[in-house]
Amino acid sequence: MVVRLVRKGPDRKMIWLIKKEVKSLFRSRWLIFGLMVSPLFAWMFEGVFLSFVVAQTSAEPETVYITLDDEGIWGNTLYSAIESEMDTLLIEQLLNVTRSDGENMAANRTLSVWVLIPENFTQELEAANRSTLVVWVNTGNFRATAAAQRIDAFAKQVINEIVIIRDLRVDWYTITPEATYGHSLAVFLVMIVSVMAPSPYVGQSFAGEREKHTLEALLVVPMSRVSILIAKLIAGLALTMFYSVFTVIGILIYNWSIVVRAAGLPPEVMDYYVNLYTVNSSAIPLIFFCQLLILICAISIGIVVSSLARDQATAESINNLILLIPTMMIGILGFTGSILQYGGVFGVFVLSIPFSHAILFLNGVLSGVATPASLLGNVAYMLAFAVVFLIIGAKLFEREAIIA
Amino acid sequence: MTDTVIRTESLTKIFEEGKKREVVALDKVSLEIDRGEVFGLLGPNGAGKTTLIRVLIGLLTPTKGKAWVLGRDVTQDIDYIRERVSLLPQEAGIYDRLTARENLVYYGGLYGIPDDDLRARADRLLDTVGLREKEDYQVKGFSGGMKRKVLVARALIIEPEIVFMDEPTTGVDTIGARVVRNVLKKLSSEQKRTIILTTHDLNEVAELCDRVGILNDGNLVAVGKPSELEEQFKAADLEEVFMGLVTGEGVYEQ
Repeated sequence: MVVRLVRKGPDRKMIWLIKKEVKSLFRSRWLIFGLMVSPLFAWMFEGVFLSFVVAQTSAEPETVYITLDDEGIWGNTLYSAIESEMDTLLIEQLLNVTRSDGENMAANRTLSVWVLIPENFTQELEAANRSTLVVWVNTGNFRATAAAQRIDAFAKQVINEIVIIRDLRVDWYTITPEATYGHSLAVFLVMIVSVMAPSPYVGQSFAGEREKHTLEALLVVPMSRVSILIAKLIAGLALTMFYSVFTVIGILIYNWSIVVRAAGLPPEVMDYYVNLYTVNSSAIPLIFFCQLLILICAISIGIVVSSLARDQATAESINNLILLIPTMMIGILGFTGSILQYGGVFGVFVLSIPFSHAILFLNGVLSGVATPASLLGNVAYMLAFAVVFLIIGAKLFEREAIIA
Repeated sequence: MTDTVIRTESLTKIFEEGKKREVVALDKVSLEIDRGEVFGLLGPNGAGKTTLIRVLIGLLTPTKGKAWVLGRDVTQDIDYIRERVSLLPQEAGIYDRLTARENLVYYGGLYGIPDDDLRARADRLLDTVGLREKEDYQVKGFSGGMKRKVLVARALIIEPEIVFMDEPTTGVDTIGARVVRNVLKKLSSEQKRTIILTTHDLNEVAELCDRVGILNDGNLVAVGKPSELEEQFKAADLEEVFMGLVTGEGVYEQ
């Protein structure tokens, strides 16, 4: 059936069913309202949030602790440069501490930024043209992270500009590995909202038809159940396209909010924040595509759940539970760093969740670090997952008990 | 020469409830229904009426026995059968966000009926059931009786050779029930459609049905014209026959 459908396209009966599904859906004003508002709200919230971050990190100074253990020339040069550029680097106070005090504060989580210029800093730089600066940061603090980023860039500028071939490495250590910010939140929001979006439609279209006793009459029409299932799937995708369009509008509003918020900053600072936080418009088609994959996976899971549930409310509740728990889990894991960091059985479990691949895809696209192969792998997994669940859904839909 | 459009031979349907319990919904039912007949299926709740209809229309697969509709085996040629038969289920739902007309047209479209033809049929049926003035209203505002009329019209939009109607007048007011009965009479007398009707209203059976079959606990306990059954069981009316066969009262006690 699927092969025939792909070869010949949907027949007139299927188109008729799709039209009816879409017509019914678009007369459900609250459903449509929800599909319009949820992506807009999610992205506008992200915009407001990151505007707040921009304001915090571009205007508010931060206290920085520093330890100079190196007695050589380059350690002192770097220290003096940081001290003289405190205003530019938005450092409120530069407080000297001993290494053990710094380590204690890191252990107690009482510092924002601690810069350690180690004792062999000059020696390594002169011997091998390479050296390491250590920065401890409270990454849960936007201002602290931004201050550390500024010091990171400034230190490389100071050391590497003097002798071009020199290479300063800055090792970052976080005192709060459970908290990062930025795109993780954007990805999380897109994920949660996208995963939940098709639930009302799927519940209404399958379990709802059983509950309202419209399914029996539908199942006796001269169409195979797989055709009916595919028609409903296509109608669901049409609906999600509508949803995705509003996601794009939401992203554009989000980008606009960041640009507006950063407009009052000096040009180079504005460029930095706009480039850092706005979604590159060339990435929007890929986000749109990824969201489509998320929605297909969510619909396929929903079809399985709705084919088993007796009524729409049960279907929606179970569906939300099944979708929400793994999405929340991987979303929260995403805040602690890459979800690829987990190994063993737990790592396999995390990667078996299709939405993990959506997060990897979106992170890869938004940060620009993805390779075509990794993106293709993510897409292939999500498509394969959806196909498997649709086959299970079709089997469940074929059961006699579907009308019982 | 009679033209048999429905035939069953020892048709049995057993539902498994859990791993150990089985429910025999139809037990060796053998039946023949001719073209143009209005056949009434009677029986108490749970007797197997709906199960029999569902097997004949391919929603359920028989456990044992055979069934043919329009000469085709229901387990082999269900697409052929479904193109030519229509069902008004017992608890039939309706798409309440669609208008009365859209409900009819949508259902007809699923049978591949051309648009022009569909429009003409919808006009005619909406006139017949008295809903022409309300055709563009969403059904969600309709009363239960009006919805039932839409469902009856919907079942007829495909101009089926056989119509299965599971309690078509349930919930319809007296006037509405009369409209539905007149539609069914017309279908039978003028268009020679075969109608399989389940109902609990024995007056309706007496008015509409050429023959009746009485099901009890999955067994077909009697088949015949109402007058023949009354005579066979020496009963004053069909209700007495029914009560006797189903509860053992009356004729069986005699």
